[in-house]
Amino acid sequence: MEVDREDGRTQNQLRPLACSRNILHRAHGSASWSQGDTKVLAAVYGPKAGTKKNENPEKACIEVIWKPKTGQTGKQEKEYEMILKRTLLSICILTVNPNTTTSIIIQVVNDDGALLPSAINAACLALVDAGIPMKHLAIAICCVAKSGYVILDPTKLEEQKMKAFAYLVFPNSVHSVLPEGSLSVQGEPIEHGIITSVTHGTMSVDDYFYCLDRGRAASVKLSDFLRRSLQQHSTDSSKAG
Amino acid sequence: MEGRLANSWRLTVNDKNFIKTALLSEIRIDGRKPYEYRKIAIKFGREDGSSEVQLGQTHVMGIVTAQLVQPYRDRPKEGILSIYTEFSPMADPSFEPGRPGELAVELGRIIDRGLRESRSVDTESLCVLAGKFVWAIRIDLHILDNGGNLVDAANIAALAALLTFRRPECSLGGEDGQEVIVHPPEIREPLPLTVHHLPIAITFGFFSNESILVIDPTHNEEAVMSGRMTTTVNANGDICAIQKAGGEGVPQRVIMQCLQLATAKAVGITKQIKEAVEVYNTERALRKIKRHPTSTSVNVREKQNQSIGK
Repeated sequence: MEVDREDGRTQNQLRPLACSRNILHRAHGSASWSQGDTKVLAAVYGPKAGTKKNENPEKACIEVIWKPKTGQTGKQEKEYEMILKRTLLSICILTVNPNTTTSIIIQVVNDDGALLPSAINAACLALVDAGIPMKHLAIAICCVAKSGYVILDPTKLEEQKMKAFAYLVFPNSVHSVLPEGSLSVQGEPIEHGIITSVTHGTMSVDDYFYCLDRGRAASVKLSDFLRRSLQQHSTDSSKAG
Repeated sequence: MEGRLANSWRLTVNDKNFIKTALLSEIRIDGRKPYEYRKIAIKFGREDGSSEVQLGQTHVMGIVTAQLVQPYRDRPKEGILSIYTEFSPMADPSFEPGRPGELAVELGRIIDRGLRESRSVDTESLCVLAGKFVWAIRIDLHILDNGGNLVDAANIAALAALLTFRRPECSLGGEDGQEVIVHPPEIREPLPLTVHHLPIAITFGFFSNESILVIDPTHNEEAVMSGRMTTTVNANGDICAIQKAGGEGVPQRVIMQCLQLATAKAVGITKQIKEAVEVYNTERALRKIKRHPTSTSVNVREKQNQSIGK
């Protein structure tokens, strides 16, 4: 079924992606990620000494600070911080630097739909830039489901108009030198797992599974993009000081 | 408590002595001369009223938004201008999230004084219905990277954002003319703000040797200097504000020298801001012409047992 989208994309097209690493000078790692008009800036400081009061000192701790574009931080920002923290806790190797805190600061530069997925992607890129040990990367995508068909990467208008949408985070696809070397959990390759899923609105079970399928396919494309941009950056890194 | 001390950044004694000795021969550690400003880059976001300014390594983002509110009782015919400064923890490892510290408050006050008391932004044109509805302009300044001299960079970001901001047009309606109708941007073109002049903040750093004076200190120099002064001047030669809060005492002739230097620099910076705004306005006008979206979007193919999506 053909769907008419405002900016002329088809239902399977993502917006133009752009990302850059190491844009801030004081932060240990920084990255910016933009999908169409949505742009998010992420900075990482860490590992810093000590953990917070209620955290386990035998493991590394992650702290997320979300700064909205305008206005004061409210419940929505706290929710984003919590989701981001839990997502990143599952991909970082916490046993390497015990009793340390890594702070991730997210700054929203512009919000035009799919804000949380962009922030997760930017945070992963910033963690890579800072050299924080991770098991694998997380790729986030936003899908809107409506009675049998799924629209990927909606703009803010599309998110508001549609009844239900889902933010999905998958582990990134693994390229392995050995043919059987790709990580698998109980027979299924690791990229079929879901790290995080946040849904808004009501959708049928079938719609949700359809979202997962499309989301997974999109995450493969995003993984490729991420891998290409990281490799390109490391080969032509000739910056002074 | 120890955790916080361990994370704060301190300049070593050797570094401090090196900076001071180099200044005696008029050399600064980043290769500039004492009265040279760093390179300023002004960029704008997609929406009206969002600017990003880079002053050397310092990076500041400015966002302007507007809302219809009730005016203050003692000024029923004037709009409201408010400035919020966010020292984001991403700018410096010693910035803590939460309530703004004294540096953030001081920065906000300097910029506020420069804009408000010099009447650079015309608040009377922001009045819609006297006593009932006026526009409240809110400027959010996000400090993203602390490379020194945050005041100047934040000031330029605020000015650039104000010059490119457009507020929706509104008209009075209803039976008794007391209702305000705000027109959406697609129906009526939003209006720019009336800015009479641009107050530019220029910061000077003083060192313990009386005759050493630098303009636009970096954060290394800020850790060494013993006094600072921020002068807000405009290109016409008017002094809008001067802030010298404590620190090393300086003789009068040094202050006069600073003011002359500041006026000279302000002319150059004003020109740069205006040129950047011109470029943005041209781009904005071009964007208004409907164009077919460029096909740089990424296509995602479905799984093989389903039909190929385009």
